[in-house]
Amino acid sequence: MFSRWNWVACGFYLVLSICSPDASSGFVQSCGHIIPESPVLALGSNFTALCILNESCLDFGNIYASQIIWKIKNRLVPKEQYREINRTVSSVTFNDTSSLATPLTCNILADGQIEQNIYGITVTVGLAPEKPKNLSCIVHQKSKFTYSMTCTWYPGRHTFLDTQFRLRYRWPEQIFPDCIPKDVNNSCTIDDSQFFVNTEIWVEATNALGKAVSDPLVVDPIDIVKPLPPQNISITSGLLPTVLQLVWENWISDAVMTLKFNIRYRIAGDTNWMEVPPEDTASPRTSFSIQGLRPYTEYVFSIRCMKEDGVGYWSDWSEEKTGITIEDQPSKGPPIWRIIDTSQSPACWTVHLMWKALKPYEANGVILQYELTVRDKSSLSSPVKKYNVTSTNHTLQLREGTYEVTLMARNSVGPSPPSVLLIPASNSKAPVKNLRTLPKHDKLWVGWTAPNNYVLKYVIEWCLMSSSSDCIIEWQIVLGDVQGIDLKGIKPFKCYLITVYPLYADGQGSGQSVKAYLKQDRPSKGPTVQTKKVGKAEAVLTWNHLTVEEQNGFIRNYTILYKTIDGNETVVTVDPSKTEYTLSSLTSDTLYTVRMMASTDNGSRTGPDFTFTTQKFGKGEIEAIVVPVCLAFLLIVLLGVLFCFNKRDLIKKHIWPIVPDPSKSNIAQWSPQVPAKHNISSKDQMYPEGSFTDVSVVEIEADDKKSFSEQDLKPFDLLKKEKSTSEGHSSGIGGSSCMSSPRQSVSDSDEGETTQNTSSTVQYSTVVLNGYRDQTPVQVFSRSESTQPLLDSEERSEDHAGGADSTPQRQQYFRQNGGQDETSTDRPCFERTKQITHANEGDLVGFVQLQISGQSSQPLGLGMEKNIEEAAVSNVLQTCTEGQTVRPETVEENPLSVDEMPKSYLPQTVRQGGYMPQ
Amino acid sequence: MAAAESPSAALRRRDLCSRGIRLAGKMRADVVDLLDAYVEQQGLDASASVAAVEGVPLAAVERWDEQTGTQRLLENLAAYRAFRALLAQMLEEQREQLGEADAGLGRALAAVLLQVSAFAYHLEELLRLESRGVPGEEGDEEEEDGPPPPPRLSLFEQKLRGLGVLRELAQWAVRSVRDLRQLAKPSPATGAAPGLVESP
Repeated sequence: MFSRWNWVACGFYLVLSICSPDASSGFVQSCGHIIPESPVLALGSNFTALCILNESCLDFGNIYASQIIWKIKNRLVPKEQYREINRTVSSVTFNDTSSLATPLTCNILADGQIEQNIYGITVTVGLAPEKPKNLSCIVHQKSKFTYSMTCTWYPGRHTFLDTQFRLRYRWPEQIFPDCIPKDVNNSCTIDDSQFFVNTEIWVEATNALGKAVSDPLVVDPIDIVKPLPPQNISITSGLLPTVLQLVWENWISDAVMTLKFNIRYRIAGDTNWMEVPPEDTASPRTSFSIQGLRPYTEYVFSIRCMKEDGVGYWSDWSEEKTGITIEDQPSKGPPIWRIIDTSQSPACWTVHLMWKALKPYEANGVILQYELTVRDKSSLSSPVKKYNVTSTNHTLQLREGTYEVTLMARNSVGPSPPSVLLIPASNSKAPVKNLRTLPKHDKLWVGWTAPNNYVLKYVIEWCLMSSSSDCIIEWQIVLGDVQGIDLKGIKPFKCYLITVYPLYADGQGSGQSVKAYLKQDRPSKGPTVQTKKVGKAEAVLTWNHLTVEEQNGFIRNYTILYKTIDGNETVVTVDPSKTEYTLSSLTSDTLYTVRMMASTDNGSRTGPDFTFTTQKFGKGEIEAIVVPVCLAFLLIVLLGVLFCFNKRDLIKKHIWPIVPDPSKSNIAQWSPQVPAKHNISSKDQMYPEGSFTDVSVVEIEADDKKSFSEQDLKPFDLLKKEKSTSEGHSSGIGGSSCMSSPRQSVSDSDEGETTQNTSSTVQYSTVVLNGYRDQTPVQVFSRSESTQPLLDSEERSEDHAGGADSTPQRQQYFRQNGGQDETSTDRPCFERTKQITHANEGDLVGFVQLQISGQSSQPLGLGMEKNIEEAAVSNVLQTCTEGQTVRPETVEENPLSVDEMPKSYLPQTVRQGGYMPQ
Repeated sequence: MAAAESPSAALRRRDLCSRGIRLAGKMRADVVDLLDAYVEQQGLDASASVAAVEGVPLAAVERWDEQTGTQRLLENLAAYRAFRALLAQMLEEQREQLGEADAGLGRALAAVLLQVSAFAYHLEELLRLESRGVPGEEGDEEEEDGPPPPPRLSLFEQKLRGLGVLRELAQWAVRSVRDLRQLAKPSPATGAAPGLVESP
């Protein structure tokens, strides 16, 4: 299998070899060739190629020049560019070589359409080199004796061809080897450079299309030297604290080149270089003393050199070397200031003295200690106190007064000049005016207008305001002719409190303060708003001020934004000093969303949303509704009562059916006290002047004979007031039920006992008409509501009156106006109400006695009639207050007929074991 | 000497003298450094006495002050042409002996050779400015008759001769500086030309 593939591969290679133009020299000869062979052409020029067919092919294959076609790569060249020179030569012409590509092939169309390649050439298109320009050279010193010269030039445009550059140089009678650049085409370095001979230097650029030569540069290499910088620099400090001496070595000997120098220096840690005046170092040298330096200061030095005449190049700066000047005594005293704490006692000061450490250029060495002197100027006899302090603050306990504090800083050489601080008893001098601030990049400028008096110094205090910690004071002292300073180290977005004190020769002015920001930002958070009170159409919002850390600037205003769910947002601007605001004109019973925004000069920040719902009713609205409704209800009730009262007859008719008047019954005659016959034709006789009706209802269990004893009847003695006689008269048994106490009888009868126990219950009503004053009552009647047949009662009157055993089980006693409530409500109508006194319990039980106008109660008994008479008068008086028509006149208006005249029975005495109807 | 010297010629002469003085100074410094390296490299004693080198005029001369400028230039040119040949021979011998093993000494020797050639060029230019023809080199003249075969020296003799060449070159460099300074002094007829008082 493998050997078969080898045979196939060999056969394919043989065919390719025959067809290949390159095989012409081989065992198969090509049918033609192209002239020129692989040309290099200038870009943009014209070009003509000839394809020449071999005579042998003409005879063998009938191939002629007319059949030749030209191709660039695989693209056919238009036949307009062909020209058949003779039957074996065809030419093709290109007016612009930029359209050419590789390969250019000559082909034959054999037998009409079969295309066969005859020959092909590679065409290279490019540009001739341009003349190199801007040739310049520099001689670098490599070591003490070796110098290399590097020349650079501009090589010109890209040629698209392999172009060689070579740097050539020569002396008038000597040509040196060419310098051929490596990897680049614009520079070359000559290792050995000889000085003091003018050297001619030029560049040649060569490629297949030509050669270009730069303009020659004629230069003595010594004039283009860049020497090595000085080496082995050493620095020594002299006897003076302001001088350092530099010593160095030069790489280049004076025989070759004399040098001049530049010396630069700076304070260690500083970036700004200072330079020794060039004219001071313009001559050859290997040392130099630098003066005017600061004592006890570390300096960094660096040197460079160049040819003395200035022709050539400066060397690089040497490596940096440091040196320190020796110490000197401090140049000035430390700035000193104080804080006076009078919190313990106004007369006893705690004075915190503080001073700033001298700057290195002021201290001129290491400060060993501070010497503090305090002199009490208000008391010349007080000794001067001296303190040696190593820190930069000291606290003293002083009495209130004027003190002079002197401070000196001492180093190993000596003390500084003294700094003096006057502490007056009071800061009563004039303050600065027009204190203001202005941010300047990263500094905060503080300016003020000087007072009218001469100011020695100003003290500027500032501190970062914080809500969580005390203000840590920083301070600075400036001279009196200064009216503004830049505060450094000020942080942006922080509030600073700045205070300026003027210091006078004889005192101190009061401080003026101002708050300032270096840079403002919008608040870091917005205010949290909430409601304090919500009404129907208004809501009281409240919020807390942002802390100073959250403000990030001066709060210019608060903005309240509120809206309903689907409504437009309403914006209200509030003064920043406020913490409360009332929203008005709100819609009742509506959900509102409110948020609050705090604004500085640089933006705003909104706090969280807060929602609240307005109330449905406003304050007093409910009362305004409820009270009229209640009043209306009461009015209706009152009207209803009045209506009932007016229609009482009708009501009575329907509710209390007319009961036959017991007085008309024969049973009235059983009472032995009542005259058997009354003249009832005359109303005067019946109701002489003040008639009295007293109705009492007493239920007594009939089966309990003991219940009729005086103990059971005692409570009924408490009756105080009486109803009018007309009422008692007109209503009778039924009328009393429309009023008050008589209702009890109604309820009793509603309970069904009456109807159900008609045979067992006997109701009695006793109407007593007292005579006027000492007159004998003309008529006393009582009425019974007994459901028993009256006739039966009459028939059994004797039995009924005499023995209680035969009475029904339950009995009621009516007492007129027996209701206690009415007694209380009617009390104002009485001039005076006498208390009911108990009668002789042995003889009398539970009888009510009412007296008028101071008449004393009297025991019941034989005087009974009189008492009854007086009670009748009082009842007449009482009824006038009730607005009732129960007056004596009323009685006249409603005269009772003889038939209707009640006839009551009135048991005057109660025997033991019987009952006592009242 | 240069009575009819044009300003440009005077400037050229001044420039040539200046460069020549500097070149001679540098050459002397380089030769001194080369001498130390050569003695160390060749294993010679720095204090070894060496006979006068054949073909090199002695730098020391009597009545130096009485010499004319042209005479000075001619003597210098003859000396440096001789040094150029000797140094080239030394460089060849050095390469044969050490190959590329001590390239530093070879480079330094080549550098001195270049400086000698350059100084000879300066002298020829000055002679041309003096309107004097530049004498042809002896080697060129002798080529017609065939140069005498150089005496075959042993290796040590070659080293000693090299030491002698460098020592004499160093002396000649000093003399050349003085000669050129003398030449650079303004002549009474060319008072416009500023004098050159430069130390090498």
